[in-house]
Formats: sequence, structure tokens, C-alpha cells
Amino acid sequence: MVPETHIITIGNVLRADIRGFVVASRIPEPEVPTFGTFVRAPIQQGSADLVGLVYDIRLQDDPFLRNLAATVTPGDPRFDEVIRDQRENRAVPVEISVASVGYRYCDDPNYAYGLPPQPPMVLHQIVVCPPDEVRVITSSPDFMRALIDNQDIPADELIPTTLLRAANLYPGSAAEFLLEAGRYLARYLGRDPVRLEKILLRIGH
Amino acid sequence: MLHLERIRGDIVALGRRAALEQARRQEALELAHQWWLSASDTEHLRRHVQPLTLALDRWDGAVPCTGTPISAQIPCPDSAPNDLTVIGADGSQIFPDRHALVLYYLLQVGAVIFRYTGEAPDTDTREWLHYDERELYDRNGYLIGSDTLGMERTVKEMEVLADITAQERKRSPARVLSLTDGPLLWPYLERGHSASAALQAYLSALRGVQQSGGVAVGYVDRPGGRPLLELLWADQLAPEDLASKAGDNPLSVLTDYDLMAHSLAPGARTTWFTRPTATNQRHAGEGQEVWFYYLNLSLGPGDAIARIEVPAWAAADETAMTALHGALRHQASVLNGYPYILARAHEEALVTTQDKTALEAAIQRELAESGIFAQPSEKARQKLLLGRR
Repeated sequence: MVPETHIITIGNVLRADIRGFVVASRIPEPEVPTFGTFVRAPIQQGSADLVGLVYDIRLQDDPFLRNLAATVTPGDPRFDEVIRDQRENRAVPVEISVASVGYRYCDDPNYAYGLPPQPPMVLHQIVVCPPDEVRVITSSPDFMRALIDNQDIPADELIPTTLLRAANLYPGSAAEFLLEAGRYLARYLGRDPVRLEKILLRIGH
Repeated sequence: MLHLERIRGDIVALGRRAALEQARRQEALELAHQWWLSASDTEHLRRHVQPLTLALDRWDGAVPCTGTPISAQIPCPDSAPNDLTVIGADGSQIFPDRHALVLYYLLQVGAVIFRYTGEAPDTDTREWLHYDERELYDRNGYLIGSDTLGMERTVKEMEVLADITAQERKRSPARVLSLTDGPLLWPYLERGHSASAALQAYLSALRGVQQSGGVAVGYVDRPGGRPLLELLWADQLAPEDLASKAGDNPLSVLTDYDLMAHSLAPGARTTWFTRPTATNQRHAGEGQEVWFYYLNLSLGPGDAIARIEVPAWAAADETAMTALHGALRHQASVLNGYPYILARAHEEALVTTQDKTALEAAIQRELAESGIFAQPSEKARQKLLLGRR
């Protein structure tokens, strides 16, 4: 899991559209972002930043690792260093899919929630958002709007995961934060009570 | 597009020729094996080939360095490596391309520091981007070629190894073996001032490894050449025939690799040899003469043969050489006969196509910010499009 106070560059945009983008990356396993991590990518020639949520992580085929699997036995002290190298150092080839949540112009402290005017360009680098930035992004429940409407992502899992992680950034008012988010979802998904219940139950747990 | 039907006859002839060649090679292999087992004692061999070794670079044979018979097979030590650090380094590059959007070249050296302590190894990657015209063109105004870049990369690899070796020795008293993927003996022809300067820098870095308390090791996988077979042939010749018949080796269809794959037991190594070349004399002048042995790193029946090169002063350190033998065996046991640390160093050093694309995009952005619009040549663009098929 990515340390919460650590900004890391996780790779380059490989392909993108307005609703999201895919990042190709070779980073050590401990730095691979987790499901529901906020990331940021520059858009519009660097005049704005797009923020999005990681909703899929695909490990690409790794013939080197496949080769090792036949000779190295976990637990055998002869291979301790090799196994730790694979787990802690070795760049894992991954594709990380990100759903757009909102954007912000560099000269404006406020986020605009929803789809951005332009996707990030290919080969721009993306970074994991630090906790302070996540707190600002999630300060309005409107950040969920683009997710609720996105049919191509597992939104009903992504939203509760994101809310529960973000709630940890509001010490003393986490319950209030979740309650506010629940009210927003109730208004937005009032016509879809089955979906609403599914998400609220996940938050409740 | 390749019209296979037009060269079908050639393909059939190629197959037949390979079958004939195979039979010839098998005969030569049996002969080489016999000569190896029945070779003269090493003192006699050294005296016998001396007239050949005096004519530097005219004879490409090996000379035995110790009193151990040349057919001796030295088994791998049983003990697991400990109190030992192995550093592996490798390099890669982006060649200058006059069809690219801008003229530059890049070198990258990757290293892995593997301490036998149960900890995760450390990695270290360093890169150099060159774009100055004085670095891109040679004295005749030609764009620098692969040899020039290869020399610079080889020097950088050894300098990085020397630097990391020094850091490791400050960190821990453990013995340090500093491996590079390729020969330790300078592999380039010494032509012109820049080649001499590169060799001098390389030898200086090699000395740096020694002064830091490390042992530089060259690892040559699937070695080419036949210095041992040349020695075996010379052994068959009468002294008066050496000069006239040394070039008529009936084993020339083989390489040393073939003989070792046939004759050297898994895990075992040969005794020490050296090559009496002008380049090795340059090494010797700096106290870094290179000795080598062959090593079979296969885990069972198979042919993971490597040539291991170390400075002569290190070869004399029996404890260090036992540690090296054991460490190579351990490293190779992880990856079916190839040292894990070198595979990882290669991975760290590698500049992938994706890296190159990202680098060129960054350069293009930087140029655009300076108001310069650069793009690859039309030929490069078309090749890129066609290459995608």
C-alpha cells in the first residue's frame, strides 16, 4: 500500500478519454497504488490538473517471474534475498485504470467536479495525490457524481471504498463526513433504491 | 515482404549443409576431448607455446597459468555463500539517430547489490544524456558509431562498479565481488587517441575496484572463440612446426564452448588460463592482467557454460576464488544457469522502447517551450508506421 504522506510518480498515460485513462507503469510492488487511490495528471498543456480514482490494476505477463517460479521456493533461506528483491525492488509491469472525478486550474483553488474538458495526453506522468489534496477533493460529495454516472467502472465498490478511506482523513468528524456522503447518494440515487442500499450497506460496514 | 517460395531451394541446401556440418563437428569434438584429457603438463605447455606467445596477437591461444593439469575439473564448494556481497552491473544505451527529432545519445548503467544477509538487494541506476556536437561526432565529422559508444559504456560500467564497491567496503567488512556482464579484458581494438583514452580510463576504474578492496569479475555467457582449442592443437605440433602449422587447427569448426559443454561436469570449473595478447599486456602494465577459467553452471545435463575473467592478482586469492565459484553457482541456480544478479542488473539498466518514447516526448516538450518545433525525419515516421504491422 502507498504510504499516505508519500507523493510518488506512478507512470505514464498510455491511452485516455474524457471518462478516464490508463497508465502503464513499472514500479516496485510496495508502490503500486491500491483500488480507490486518488491520482492526478496534468491536462490542457499543464494549465490544469485532472484528478481521478484508480479502479483497476492489471499485472502484465512477466516471463522473468514465471521463470523464477520454477526454481525458487518461498521459505528456503537460499532464496531469501531473491524473493525479497522480487517483492520489494523489482519493477512490476502494471496497467492502472483511472476514472475521472474532477479537475482544477492551476490558478484556482477549487475543484470542478465531473468530466474534464480534455483527457490527459499520452505519456504525461501521473502522481498519487497526498492526503491534504484528497481532503480538499472529497470536501464536497459532488466528487462522486462522475463515478455514479460511469457505467464502465465498478462504481458501487469504488464509491464506498473511497469514502471509507477518505473518512480516515477527517479525525473526529468521520461519521459526519460519511453521513453527508450518504445523504448525497440518497438524493442522487433516489430512483434506484437497490443500488443505493448496496452502496450504503458497504459504507455502514 | 519476403517471398519465401523464391528462396526455398536455398533453405533446403542450408538444412543439408547443417547436417553435414554436424557430423564434422561431432568428429572434431571427440578429438578435442581426447587431446584435452591427454594434454601435456602445464610447465611443458608453457615452454612449448612460448614462441607463439612472443608474436603478440598473431596466435589466439590460451596459456595455462598454474601447475594444475588443464583437464582438471575443480568442483563447486559445498558451503553456501556468506560474509559476501556480490555487485552486478550492466549497461544499455540509445544510439544517436540522425532521423530522430533531435540528435543525442543516452547511456544507462544499472547495478544490483546482493548481500548474503537475507535483506532485499539494493539497486542503483545512473544515466548520462549527451547532446553536445563535440560528443556526437568523431574527429572526421562522422556520427559516432557503436564501438565508440560501447567503449564509453564499458568504462562507465566499471566506474560505477568501482564506486559502488568503495561504498560497500565502507558499509561492511564483507568480501565484495563486482561482476560485469561481459569480458573483463578490454574487448575493443586500440585504434586512435579516443580508444587509448577509453582503455586508460577503464584500467583506472579496474584499479579502483582493487583499491576499494573488491574483486572485478567478467562474466561471459556462451563464450565464443577457441583459445583452449588452439592450445590443444599447438600441443599436438612439433616445436619446429609451430610457426607454420599453428593456423591449420582441425578443431576450427568448434569453439571452446563446444568442448566445455561436452566435457565439463555441472558445477565444475577448469584451471586458470591467460591470453598473451597486446591488450592483456596493457592490462598487465597496470597490474590488471586478466586470467580466466571456464565454468559449467548448468544444474544437470546441459550446457550453461561461461568464461569467468578476473585480474591475475585476484586469481591468486584462493579464498576469494572459492567464494566466487560458490556465489556464481548459487546465483545461477536461481535462473537455470545464468546469474540472477546479472539478469536483474540488465533489467535495471535496460532502456525500453517505452522509456525512449517518454524521453523523446520530454525532449520534444522542452524544445516546444523554447519555440523549437522538432520532429523525426519522414523516413523514421514511415518506418514507425510500417513497423507496427
